[in-house]
Amino acid sequence: MAETVRVKPAAHSALRLSPVTLLRVAIVLTLLACWELLAASGWLYRDVVPSLLAIGGAVYELLSHGEYYFNLGVTAGEIGVALLIGGTGGLLVGLALGANRFLSKAFESYLYYLGPTPKIIFFPIMIMWFGVGPGSKVAMGTISCFFPIVLSVAAGMRQIDKVLIRVGKSFRAGTWQMVMKIYLPAMRHPIINGVRLGLGVALIGTLLAETKLSNKGIGFLIIQAYSLFDMPRMYAMLIVLFVLSIGANALVGRLGGLDSIKRF
Amino acid sequence: MPISPSTADRAAPSRRTADAILTVGNIDMRFETPDGTLVAVDDVSFTVAPGEFLSVIGPSGCGKSTLFNVIGGLLGGYQGRVTVAGETITGPHASIGMVFQEESTFPWRTVTDNVAFPLELIGMPKQKRIERARHFIRLVGLDGFENRYPGELSGGMRQRVSLARTLASEPKILLMDEPFAALDEQTRLLLGDKVLQIQQDLKQTTLLITHNITEAVQMSDRILVMTYRPGKVKRIVDIDLPRPRTSEIVGSEAFGRYVAQIWADLREEASRGMQDDESRALHPGGARP
Ligand SMILES: Nc1ncnc2c1ncn2[C@@H]1O[C@H](COP(=O)(O)OP(=O)(O)O)[C@@H](O)[C@H]1O
Ligand SMILES: [Mg+2]
Repeated sequence: MAETVRVKPAAHSALRLSPVTLLRVAIVLTLLACWELLAASGWLYRDVVPSLLAIGGAVYELLSHGEYYFNLGVTAGEIGVALLIGGTGGLLVGLALGANRFLSKAFESYLYYLGPTPKIIFFPIMIMWFGVGPGSKVAMGTISCFFPIVLSVAAGMRQIDKVLIRVGKSFRAGTWQMVMKIYLPAMRHPIINGVRLGLGVALIGTLLAETKLSNKGIGFLIIQAYSLFDMPRMYAMLIVLFVLSIGANALVGRLGGLDSIKRF
Repeated sequence: MPISPSTADRAAPSRRTADAILTVGNIDMRFETPDGTLVAVDDVSFTVAPGEFLSVIGPSGCGKSTLFNVIGGLLGGYQGRVTVAGETITGPHASIGMVFQEESTFPWRTVTDNVAFPLELIGMPKQKRIERARHFIRLVGLDGFENRYPGELSGGMRQRVSLARTLASEPKILLMDEPFAALDEQTRLLLGDKVLQIQQDLKQTTLLITHNITEAVQMSDRILVMTYRPGKVKRIVDIDLPRPRTSEIVGSEAFGRYVAQIWADLREEASRGMQDDESRALHPGGARP
């Protein structure tokens, strides 16, 4: 039969570095070298650009104290709850907007206006409603991640291949079966993408709120380090945070199976 | 013309009505379009006997898919009546299984899980439905690919997955809307043979929509030729050729006569369709002739 199976590309050897990887490593090394030169030159106050050694020491210091983990846990918990509430809300509202032309015409343009608005302007209101503790941070994270999720879900629902819906109907799938077995899996890409974007902005919203007014969390520690002018500690926290958010993003991608091409 | 195959007059009541498994009675389907009302299906009636293979043939846009969707219960707002074993349909019927023209496998499910889909919907236990699915996968000749995803298969293999999925629901009536249209010629021929063989083995009542005359003559017991706009039944042709329809029969004179007769019917309609397309291209937005 004139049918061939697509050949899988050969897996890259783990040891051989691709040119892209080499370039990335080179860029990072160059940046680090420039930083160290700047630190050694004394052009800026020594404390503003601490040496890499000092930052490394601060990272070690940071990671060997329970206080940091407690505050990390607070922030992670806030973001997690925000993503749960904002994600569920975004998914439900997105499904409704995607399914109903009337609702989408009536409300979707507001979402497009509100989406890019900096959510920090709502922070005073959230403090009044939920207090200075984690509640207002969760609220900030929630309203931040709601928008990208609702918009990608609504758009994703409209892009579902219509024939798949006809298949479900012709096999007499019920509403719940249609949602669970056709709509949601067919929308896996836009949903994962929405959650990724949502995670990013929930992180921003929560941390920004913490740096403004709070009594715990990573944002609080960063601002504390800044006000004590403990620059190595502040940079150390930024670095750890950076690594963590890359990890979280990769995790979301992996959970959705974005890496395994064959399923998609 | 030296053509003598027996043709059934569409106005005359079919001799098959009594034991028909499917009756399509005076179906009318209109669409409101910006240029006015479009009569897609106009007073179409026919019946199908158990185990029969009926092809519906007609130029593109004549209303074949619309008719298919009405019979499959996916389209409302028509006039007339479709009954399955005497029961008037009001929506998708459990006895009717559809295979669509478009790519319709679920890309997130393996071949097995695709084929097991209708069984999953009725709550069949996992072990049992996987066994059933394997049976139909073998039937369409896809053994060895059970755990592959559709993205790893060729177009012809994916269409076989769709066929196996519909067969797994064990429909009394199989409806196929140009299932091979998107495939290359060789794959199309081989897949046609496969479908015919399965149809004969299972004594599966089958409606095939196609615009390929040779395919229709080779496979069918009867061929329904549709007119172009409005979509009416032009003629129903009985194909009195022995089975199995080997390559010898396909090469025979009788076969050629059927093809010629249907082409003569179809040619008129197809050229009307082409003129219609051309005039619409020349006068976009103008009134429909
Ligand atoms: N939902 C619809 N709204 C308006 N016109 C439609 C709709 N579906 C089909 N048509 C029109 O009805 C005619 C018949 O379509 P179709 O049944 O798909 O033809 P075929 O399958 O024979 O090619 C075409 O002219 C098509 O444009
Ligand atoms: Mg069609």
